[in-house]
Amino acid sequence: MALPDQDSATPRGEPWVWFSSLGLIVGLVMVLGLLGLVLMNGLSVFWAPPVPVVRLDDGTSLIGQLAQRRIRPGSPASAPRYERQYQVGLRELNGHSYVWVDESRVRAEEFPADILGLERMENGPAFVRPVRLTRADGRVVEAADPAFAEALAAEVAAGAGVRERLTEINRGRIGEVNAAMEQTRVDLRRAEDQKTPTEAIRRAMTALEARYATLGSEANQIKATGETSKLLAREAGGREVVVPMAQVVREWFPNRLGFADRLGLFFRRLGEFIFGEPREANTEGGLMPAIFGTLVMTVFMSLLVTPFGVIAAIYLREYAQQGSLLRIVRISVNNLAGVPSIVFGVFGLGFFVYVLGGSIDQLFFSDQLKYNNNTPVFGTGGLLWCSLTLALMTLPVVIVATEEALAAVPRGMREASLATGASKWQTIREILLPASAPGILTGVILAMARGAGEVAPLMLVGVVKLAPTLPLDGTAPFLHLDRKFMHLGFHVYDLGFQSPDSDAARPMVFATTLLLIVLVVCLNLGAITIRNRLRARYKTASF
Amino acid sequence: MDKIDNQSSPADAARFDVRPMTLAVDRWMGRLIRFGGIGVVLAVFGMLAFLIFQIFPLFAGAKVQSVEPLLFPAGAVAFGEDEYGEVPFVCLADGTLHFQDSRTGAKVLQWSPNVAPRRVTAVRSYPRDGLVLLGLSDGAVQEVRVSYRLAYDASGTRRSEPVVNAAEPLTVGDGGAPCRDVWAAKNSGGRLFVVRQSLAGREHLTGLLLAERKGLGGKVRVTPGQPFPIAADTVDFEQVLVPTTADSLLLIRRDGEVRTYNEAGEGFAFLQSFRPFAGAADPRVTSAGLIFGNVSLVVTGAEGQQHVWSLYPQLQPDGMSLRRWGRIHEGSVLPGVGQGVYAAEGNKCYLALAGGKLRLHNMTTGSLRWEGEAGAQGFRQVAFGRNYDRLAALDDQGRLLRWKIEDHHPESSWATYFGKIWYEGASGPAYEWQSSAGSDEFEAKYSLVPLFYGTVKGTFYALLFALPIALTAAVYVSQFLRPQFRQVVKPGMEIMASLPSVVLGFLAGLWLAPLVDPCLISLLCALAALAPAAIFAGYAWSKLPQRVRRQVAPGMEFLWLVPFVAGCAWLAWQAGPFVEAACFTVKDVGTGLPIADFREWWRQTTGLSYDSRNSLVVGFVMGFAVIPIVFTIAEDALSNVPTSLVSGSLALGASRWQTVWSVVIPTAISGIVSAVMIGFGRAIGETMIVVMATGNTAVMEANPFSGMRTLSANIAVELPEAAIGHTHYRALFLGACCLFLLTFVINTLAEVLRQRLRERYKVV
Repeated sequence: MALPDQDSATPRGEPWVWFSSLGLIVGLVMVLGLLGLVLMNGLSVFWAPPVPVVRLDDGTSLIGQLAQRRIRPGSPASAPRYERQYQVGLRELNGHSYVWVDESRVRAEEFPADILGLERMENGPAFVRPVRLTRADGRVVEAADPAFAEALAAEVAAGAGVRERLTEINRGRIGEVNAAMEQTRVDLRRAEDQKTPTEAIRRAMTALEARYATLGSEANQIKATGETSKLLAREAGGREVVVPMAQVVREWFPNRLGFADRLGLFFRRLGEFIFGEPREANTEGGLMPAIFGTLVMTVFMSLLVTPFGVIAAIYLREYAQQGSLLRIVRISVNNLAGVPSIVFGVFGLGFFVYVLGGSIDQLFFSDQLKYNNNTPVFGTGGLLWCSLTLALMTLPVVIVATEEALAAVPRGMREASLATGASKWQTIREILLPASAPGILTGVILAMARGAGEVAPLMLVGVVKLAPTLPLDGTAPFLHLDRKFMHLGFHVYDLGFQSPDSDAARPMVFATTLLLIVLVVCLNLGAITIRNRLRARYKTASF
Repeated sequence: MDKIDNQSSPADAARFDVRPMTLAVDRWMGRLIRFGGIGVVLAVFGMLAFLIFQIFPLFAGAKVQSVEPLLFPAGAVAFGEDEYGEVPFVCLADGTLHFQDSRTGAKVLQWSPNVAPRRVTAVRSYPRDGLVLLGLSDGAVQEVRVSYRLAYDASGTRRSEPVVNAAEPLTVGDGGAPCRDVWAAKNSGGRLFVVRQSLAGREHLTGLLLAERKGLGGKVRVTPGQPFPIAADTVDFEQVLVPTTADSLLLIRRDGEVRTYNEAGEGFAFLQSFRPFAGAADPRVTSAGLIFGNVSLVVTGAEGQQHVWSLYPQLQPDGMSLRRWGRIHEGSVLPGVGQGVYAAEGNKCYLALAGGKLRLHNMTTGSLRWEGEAGAQGFRQVAFGRNYDRLAALDDQGRLLRWKIEDHHPESSWATYFGKIWYEGASGPAYEWQSSAGSDEFEAKYSLVPLFYGTVKGTFYALLFALPIALTAAVYVSQFLRPQFRQVVKPGMEIMASLPSVVLGFLAGLWLAPLVDPCLISLLCALAALAPAAIFAGYAWSKLPQRVRRQVAPGMEFLWLVPFVAGCAWLAWQAGPFVEAACFTVKDVGTGLPIADFREWWRQTTGLSYDSRNSLVVGFVMGFAVIPIVFTIAEDALSNVPTSLVSGSLALGASRWQTVWSVVIPTAISGIVSAVMIGFGRAIGETMIVVMATGNTAVMEANPFSGMRTLSANIAVELPEAAIGHTHYRALFLGACCLFLLTFVINTLAEVLRQRLRERYKVV
């Protein structure tokens, strides 16, 4: 813009120019700082650092992974004292997984090679010094044995196999039987109520119960096979612990790993995080259901919002009588984008869930209501209502983007099309829509990004902490519109804010936060890229 | 567009040989798009309509409908009914009960007491408890229990069959005089009977306590105590009020004095005396009634006044705070002498009878729910249905007048949500939001004012932080920054806008708040150092010789500024502890040693609270949500200022800052204002950050180190638990509606401003 003055006099107001650049600096530092913070904290969750034996001034010691370091609360700011938090695991022994240690109490930190880290199905992780392993076939391997690590890995793999088979029975087959029993129970109640014969239903019920019992004993058998394998280990204080190997998800020797091993472990953990199931009240394990729920909801929402948004925009731009009324309508629609999301949630709960859902239940599921303890089907939060609510919320985004894209199509193209005898609809279909497709896509992606990151309205209309089933699965009708589901954003809220053990939840919240931000930022970057290309294209296309 | 319309007359169609299919598709798609477009637009507006529709019932008064009266024998003095009002009964002065089926009018049962040789001289009925008390001519009291049994006749229809059980008479009063009135009450210790007698021209009250104790097997053992005199210091009272909780007693004298007594040990002790209408020409209390909960009294006067007196903590001259009666409301003037006050069951409404009119009031809000003709000169007894759905009144001719009440939100009025209300038990009127508590008698408080206050407070701190950053950044980026940087900065800011607010809330509440807590002063010092450092840097640079200045390309200053500002901030940060030691040293409460702790200093010096999740943290994090929006819009407005203006200014010799300050900013000012307004709108509606980063307490204090509860956070926290259709549910909808309208109006104003700006650019 302005060139520096050529004469030697001092330009007026130069300090204010520098002052104004401060705003930019602070803004950029905020964005980069936040992204960096989340990136670092989120990724360090999967990194396995060396684990020390910490000797304290009172002669005791502990084995634990350093979780964080901070100024001791209450210590004067002029002479701050620091404290460290170690994750020691073994919650069944200690009652907690994390300990705070005043830094002045630490005498020494040693890193013996035999420290073993275990991730378990229950009671959090464990950091121990192994003594001996009793394998499933009864063989005993001492920790000093060079084959110990290999044997341990084999047992962990075997345990994983057992768990997989158990899950298949418990969730898959027993789940099916449960669903069938539930339905049969409703049938039975209906039959009793309508005084129709119940014999056949009772027989079916008995058969189902028998099947349930068979599956249960099968599961118990499988469980028993895994129970013989045990690891005897010592914790820092010398107390012995027995860890059933069937409970161990992953084992590693944190002080023996090389960089490549650590990196490998990092990616395996990351993989489990993305593709695994949650464990331990969501504070461990993976996020697959939440990722899947977020994706299904977002995609379903965009399927709902795109046609309506595009049709409304075409109407406003191409069909409606241009005038002051339309201007008011347009301003109002634009302004809806600025209405707080929670208001849409309130509307979703009041209208979609209670009014629409309640009526659907009355009309189509009155049996279900009557014979299943008044359990609502659609009259409670669920995927459909979440998607509809967010679709309504993001509608202005799509309408505005589409309108802008339509307006940007050069007038010449439109006129040329009409002049060749194409009808209005043909012009829209063949000329306007293709030309504005990138713009529409931008709007839809922005809507998806907003929908994926939104939590407040979803809390009201159907997102839950832990959903037993996925909203999209292999049983008919495949897409279960009435089911509640898990959502990444709500996961962050719930873990960070409502978790009873906030220390244990902390790493998981950061990891989830990272994932959510990556998702949203990717969607936004996509939208920005498309928009920039679009601009470049119209620059050449117009005039 | 419409100007280029594809008009095709039939002749044209023949000439160009358009397939009919094409035309049909065109027509149908046109209809579909019109239908869909209008539908979508209507749906969007339907949303607002739905929200308003949901809050409408809050401001509708009560609907009271008269039902056909039932005729009973004349001379009935009391009545009672079952839960559904199906088989009501009246009690005659001689103690006879007449039951009647309210649907068919058929007599169901007639029951007479068997107390000979004594006579029944006083009757009182407690419809809710199915209890009739008969006062006898020798001062004894007989308890008559009326219960209903469900029976089904041959056709399977359900009907209630009354069952009457009379207990042995209990000797309560003096044997020498007949009972003039009787009462029964119940508290945790047992049941209290009170009789009123006239002895030698003096009024006497005598009480008897039946102690009830639960035995091991769950059996209740009843031990009658000794009769004791009540309020023996007053002998000329006219009206007696005995609350059903038996913990207090009120006497009203002919001259308008109300004397109150409190339960004390085995009897009642005088508490307080007051004259509600002391200043009036006619100071008499014409009628009085205790409101549900028994801590509030409604009194009416001869000139139609109605005042509410309530027990609440009052500061005594000796500095103690004691619960005493005091006037909390002065209701609207009744259309005549107050003839009766009848309290509803389960809420704070009451019915007042005056000048032949019935008025249904809410005690707390003072609102008039309904007004109607009484249809009788006076009433012997009035009772509400248990669910506040029915009303029945017995007049002097033995008619039982009945009404149906439909009033779903009796506690609701404009004052409930937007006004200061003096709630029962409080020491003064206040704005309060407290939607739920343990006990039945608790009144939910739904004032939206503290929530508005919290919203404005959060928004204020957010804007305080965000506006300087966003606006200066917008000025710099649009006017000074090199274009190639601008292409990176703008998307960067958009990324910031897209950060999910739940992430910001989590970081604010669980990461930032504990982190900031111990080093608040250092942080504030560092922030405060930024601006002077930048201005100083600019000043110093402008004093440098030109050949040095040439080394810094225009639009690159910020890169040079970064290390300098960072250094200054670091120094200020290091100085923080010294500042804290110098200015904020206080005596530690525990050890008595002086410590330098700002938090403790704040608590001790101001007397206000210090929370680690406070408004500053919220304001800072909300900045992440507000900055990008304000920045983007303001930047657009600034960079769209026509270049001719800028070039002209520069050509006339103005420096680049002079150009920006005197030409660019004034031209774009409406766009900047619009950006600020849109940022304001965003901050108002922010939900998750506030939910997670504040304590969510609905307090009204400007203290920057305390939390708040905003409208949006309140909805998010409470709506999942609110029962559908309940006042709480609708009050939350009202909050949502307010949010909607607030943001909608602000955004519309902003939009109008921006359009005006666009027109101005056109002119220029």
